[in-house]
Amino acid sequence: MNKNFFEIENVNFSTGGRNKVKNLSLKIENEGDVICLLGPSGIGKTTILRTIAGLEKISSGKISLKNKIISSSKVHVEPENRNISLSFQDNCLFPHYNVLDNIKFGAARNQKSKKKLDVDEIINFLHLNHIKDKFPHQISAGESQRAALARSLLSKPDLLLLDEPLSNVDQSFKEEIQVKLKQILNELKITTIVVTHDSYEAFYLGSKCGIILDGLLKQYDDPYNVYHFPNSIEVVNFLNRGILIPAKVTGENSLESNDLGTIKGNFIKHYPKGSNVKLLLQPEDLEHDDKSNLKLEVVDRKFRGTNFIYTLKTLSNLLIPVFVHSHHIHQHEVDEKFGIKRPIYIDHIVCF
Amino acid sequence: MLYKKFNIWYLNSFLISAIVAIPIVTVFSSFFESTGKYSVIIKDTFLFDYIYSSALLLSGVLVFTFIIGVGCAYLVSFYKFPGSNFFKWALILSFAVPSYIYAYSLTAFFENYGTAYSILKNIFGDGEYNSKIPKFDEMMGAIIAISFSLFGYVYVLTRASFYHQSQNLIELGKNLGFSRKKSFFKIILPSARPAIVAGLSLVAMETLSDFGSVSFFGISTLTTGIYNAWVSFDDLALANRLSFFLLIFILGLFILENISRRKAQYHTPVKAGFKSKSLIELNGYKALTAFLICGTVFFISFLFPVLQMMYWTIIFPKHLADLKIIELFLNTILLVVLASSVLIIFAFISNFGNRVTKSKFLNFLTTFSVCGYAIPGVILAVAYISFVSWFDNNFISFFEIKSIKSIFIGSIIGLVVVYFVRFYSLASNGIKSGYLKINYSIDESSYLLGYSKLKTFLNIHVPYLKNSVLLIGILIAIEIIKELPITLILRPFNFETFATQAYIFASQDLLEAAAAPSLFLIVIASLFILTTYRYILKD
Repeated sequence: MNKNFFEIENVNFSTGGRNKVKNLSLKIENEGDVICLLGPSGIGKTTILRTIAGLEKISSGKISLKNKIISSSKVHVEPENRNISLSFQDNCLFPHYNVLDNIKFGAARNQKSKKKLDVDEIINFLHLNHIKDKFPHQISAGESQRAALARSLLSKPDLLLLDEPLSNVDQSFKEEIQVKLKQILNELKITTIVVTHDSYEAFYLGSKCGIILDGLLKQYDDPYNVYHFPNSIEVVNFLNRGILIPAKVTGENSLESNDLGTIKGNFIKHYPKGSNVKLLLQPEDLEHDDKSNLKLEVVDRKFRGTNFIYTLKTLSNLLIPVFVHSHHIHQHEVDEKFGIKRPIYIDHIVCF
Repeated sequence: MLYKKFNIWYLNSFLISAIVAIPIVTVFSSFFESTGKYSVIIKDTFLFDYIYSSALLLSGVLVFTFIIGVGCAYLVSFYKFPGSNFFKWALILSFAVPSYIYAYSLTAFFENYGTAYSILKNIFGDGEYNSKIPKFDEMMGAIIAISFSLFGYVYVLTRASFYHQSQNLIELGKNLGFSRKKSFFKIILPSARPAIVAGLSLVAMETLSDFGSVSFFGISTLTTGIYNAWVSFDDLALANRLSFFLLIFILGLFILENISRRKAQYHTPVKAGFKSKSLIELNGYKALTAFLICGTVFFISFLFPVLQMMYWTIIFPKHLADLKIIELFLNTILLVVLASSVLIIFAFISNFGNRVTKSKFLNFLTTFSVCGYAIPGVILAVAYISFVSWFDNNFISFFEIKSIKSIFIGSIIGLVVVYFVRFYSLASNGIKSGYLKINYSIDESSYLLGYSKLKTFLNIHVPYLKNSVLLIGILIAIEIIKELPITLILRPFNFETFATQAYIFASQDLLEAAAAPSLFLIVIASLFILTTYRYILKD
């Protein structure tokens, strides 16, 4: 007997006759879990949500919710009978109702729920008080998105699907809403699948993250592992946080790089001595040290508020990113030399 | 499997398509039928005349409507002058005056001892004015009557196109160093060209379909030929064969209009980057000239026929007293209510079916079903009678059932069916354009909130589209109130509307008696137009 709250088994997701994601399997074990799906635009993330919601049919595999099959090649429960709510990325408020009435549409299905959500509570929570009497064409894209989110939350679905829920929300609100959203999803135990291209949002909201690339679910793991232990070069490239440099395994805990010399640390996977590998080097793996004799040329410097990201060029023309705290005593200009602390020690060494 | 898909949506769309297909198939099948000896006479004598007159009439009307329609649209869209806001909507009141009523007014005013004569006599005393008063009869009369009654199509579509042109476009011209004249010919006019062509195509179709004014002026066009072949020669097959020639003409225009209309959409900008135009304020003689141009067009197209009809209604009160106003009004309203209800219900079912099934086949059927508007009323009526007779003779009589002719010909049912074919495009396109404004994800959101398709229809679509439906109902009403040939041919015995009553009086040379029903017709149509002018100008 399948005991997972929600499960997708070997499903091909397609829309308009085009196959978007192949043979995807994924499960959400417990009610109230939040998972995130990350992937580049056009890869089929929205198609996955639409299919789960019942707006697209499947020809193979099955999707089950609360131990009932809702989609398979033979079964297709209509969207209105699934108790799954999808909050679209685009504005999908009913244009002829004001924001408050739009939100109340969600309440209609919430009647039977034990843990009811209060309309005013949700309006306050999403900062919608000042626009509740306005019509959709009178509010901004971000406000529309929040109103649609309120409507979805209010319907208290068995499964909530959020498609880029905060993509149009102002940065000033975004973090606050992320915090409150996580809090309310936890409180109400609403099982949720969030689709986003913002890895920070995914890492924050999701207890698990799935990375979809080239039509396949490449990795499905908790956010820490996805970031620190990516299981493929594609995932590394997608998260775009580090680079792969050639190195040779020289021992149980060491590698040798032509550009950086000896690197020590803990391998997460065993490689025989003498193996030629590609080492994942993330910006936080290297430390700045002005006194070090390992000097690389600065080719770019990005100010990111709390830190700078220096891009350094090695002798073999590799470009390596390095974080430096923005309160560091001095800055390095482009073309200047930049010291790297030796010996280089990486806590978990990821190689391919 | 098709049978699995065969549901209410398919049944509805098939039914509508079949009804629309009847006149087309009937006209085309006329080539397999034998016609009377009159066909030879017509072929040898009148056919060339019919085609020549139709072509001449068409050319004249197109030139006139282009100049009046585009000229007025340009003035009210780009300039501010005394009365410009009034003329924006007042100019569409010409839609309330059917060309045949315009023709009566024109004749009544300029004829010997007509209104013009009376005016001159009252001002200057007795005199020989008849020879000095110009006569607008026959071809010139028909061209003027049809042009002033139809220029509104060109005006409305061109104005909408001008209205949607962004100020950026004008500024771009200035930036390139264009003079105002050069900007008009190089930027403004080419950009509005698809809308102008669409407007002119509609005018052309209506002109070729015109029956009332050409028959009043005694011009032999293909439309009057069809009517005469049926009424005078009692030769339905010949009427259908003449209809075929006319349909070929109109088919070309229909295609042209559709292509232009689609292109015209590309000129409607999206919200992003759109900048409203700042109107150029005219002063002095320029303002006066603009006022006089629009004022003259408004006067000639609307006030002139209204005043003429009013004048005669007042000076011949006996005709007004004899007129069964309430009966005519109720008959007209009965047709309006029945036809618009049936049209709206079927159009709603069809469009909703297309939306929920997303079927390309159903979409194709709907597209086909709207082509009825291009077919002249005379052809529709005659072809419909041909079909019912054929069906009755070949099927009903075979089963020895009572003839159905009396149920479908010369009856309200027959009228509603043929109105349905003629005006289905108004209902269907109106609801379709309303639906296009509802993003499909709105429906999906509703389903995901637990609402069924029916509940979505009732809670989301109906409230959202209720204004569109009201507008469509009014537009259909305006058309039916003015409609002449279908009503004339298919109406039940002794059943008159304002339009047919006016026509009957006019055809008996009792123009003064035609004034009162014409005036009522114009007043009712004007009231409807005034309630919807904002939407007409917008879309």
